[in-house]
Amino acid sequence: MSSTVSPSFTACLICGTRNQPKATVCKECSAPMALVHEAEAQQRPPRIVSVVGDSNVGKTVYLGFLLDMLSQRANQFEAIPRGAYSVDLPQNVISHMAYRMFPPKTPVESSEWNWAYYQVCKRGRSPKWVDLVMPDMAGEAIAAEVAAPSTFRVIEQLLARSSGVLLLVDAALAAHGSAQPDFFGVKMLSYLDSLYTTDRRKRIEVPVAVVLTKADYFPECFDDPRRFAQANLTRLCNLCESRLAKVEFFATSVVGALGYATSENDDVVTSIPLHVSLRGVLEPFEWVLQQL
Amino acid sequence: MLSGLFARNSAAKDACSVVAGDQAAPADRTRTSGDALLQALQTRRYGLIVRGRQQWLQHPHFQSVFEEAVKAVDELFALVPEGMVSLSLSTFDQPGQPETEVPTAAFLLARHAVTNADYQLFVDAGGYQQLEIWPRDIWPHLINMKDQTGQPGPRYWRDGQHDRRLARHPVVGVCYYEAAAYAAWAGYRLPTDAEWQMAASWRVRGAADAQRRYPWGDGFEVGRCNLWASGHGGTLPVEACPEGAAPNGVLQLVGNVWEWTDGEFRCTDRDGRLVVGATLLKTIRGGAYDTYFPWQATSTFRTAADSMARSPNIGFRCALDLLTN
Repeated sequence: MSSTVSPSFTACLICGTRNQPKATVCKECSAPMALVHEAEAQQRPPRIVSVVGDSNVGKTVYLGFLLDMLSQRANQFEAIPRGAYSVDLPQNVISHMAYRMFPPKTPVESSEWNWAYYQVCKRGRSPKWVDLVMPDMAGEAIAAEVAAPSTFRVIEQLLARSSGVLLLVDAALAAHGSAQPDFFGVKMLSYLDSLYTTDRRKRIEVPVAVVLTKADYFPECFDDPRRFAQANLTRLCNLCESRLAKVEFFATSVVGALGYATSENDDVVTSIPLHVSLRGVLEPFEWVLQQL
Repeated sequence: MLSGLFARNSAAKDACSVVAGDQAAPADRTRTSGDALLQALQTRRYGLIVRGRQQWLQHPHFQSVFEEAVKAVDELFALVPEGMVSLSLSTFDQPGQPETEVPTAAFLLARHAVTNADYQLFVDAGGYQQLEIWPRDIWPHLINMKDQTGQPGPRYWRDGQHDRRLARHPVVGVCYYEAAAYAAWAGYRLPTDAEWQMAASWRVRGAADAQRRYPWGDGFEVGRCNLWASGHGGTLPVEACPEGAAPNGVLQLVGNVWEWTDGEFRCTDRDGRLVVGATLLKTIRGGAYDTYFPWQATSTFRTAADSMARSPNIGFRCALDLLTN
């Protein structure tokens, strides 16, 4: 693959904008130019796997633990971070969760996002290495882009180039009767639909894993995630059935139990992750990888 | 094979674990006969026999039954000496955070967590229908304590029976109240939070104020317990990981399943604010097969779960006060 438009410029891996050869971030989308250099070094283009979802659904925590688990060779995976910046996200998540704190909200500005470039393979008879780029995007930015396309061109470009999508949906909210997760999921899927297909007779071929987060609130979610989604995310399920050629439902949770800290003097309630118990983190990713 | 702190067993499943999708094999139901004393012996309610012996003194077989029960208690339980523990009162586990010193008297702690086979005895004896062993305010909730087929029992059972392949695995899918009810039914009780920590940290009173970070010592070793890093991905039989035993032979205080204790979780966060749950929080200890951080499975780490939670990674073990003549 060629990433240089001319000897004087380097094209961004995400949006294609021409940048100075020594630029560290893309002047247009703020993606690290290191992605380009890594791709050149590997001599193969990376696949982009996007983790999307509404604000506060748990994208950062999910992605941080996923990357850390892969680095620890969970389930016979092997993952090599390419570039020190790729470790920032799992380091940030682990360092907070280890002290029973959630990491801060991902900033809306794309220049503040964490990017991860990993080489991943599943060990076996003939392991196949896949280069993956997985950015941690802010939920507000995703929502803004979905509401008004091209507001965040970096998101538009990322999703347009994605080989797989993990759509995170808040199962706890849905189980409590909120329609917000369902509606956001429909909007997200509709947005992807407009990105990936122009012919309404064809379904989206990009694999989409619908990941029900915070499933520990409603343990039945783990028994049959698809059934839970059909009961509590009906609109999203119907749209998945209509428009997606490759879709699967998963339940996941990271927090074993949640506490709430508040004081009489203020109305601020802080959620405290009392301990970490990982369930269903690897499975959605593994499924998407199998579809690539 | 990899080495290191987070080395993972490349054999993802232990031979004794059940692979998802395998056909379940329901266990046999318990059949008892005879009077209450003999049934208590048959259902292994040894605590009931030894603690309630006064009511059976006139029973023709009392002496032999009592001796058998004492012998069983001696085999199934281990002595935890008196000591002193420092219970953390903060969720921010750093030096300098508030703690409270709690003395513990000597007591007996079960060497193993309660197994599915043990709990089957309780279910078959109609434990869920014996209202006297349940708190009155829990009675309306008993209707929710059903298994996958709607029968009274732990959440992951079917038709009121456990999978016989998991007979020696710790029972899970039971809330705090189910654990307490079983203990009461058998004549035992749940350990207090401080007692559990004493058993795991072995902070015996003495000139040297030493305690263990883990039951076996201070260094974490992945092969001594069943945490996430061990790679098993599920529960193991209660006899597994013998190298992780406490000095008195109690197994799996760390790892395999979290354990309910008879303690209400009262802690503050790093800013001193009280931490509460959606419902009453009860302390759980020890970590489980899916505990990601080894330092969340130490002898002093305190955490909690909603008292009604019927999780796949929470079990319990019983305690017994020292028997007096």
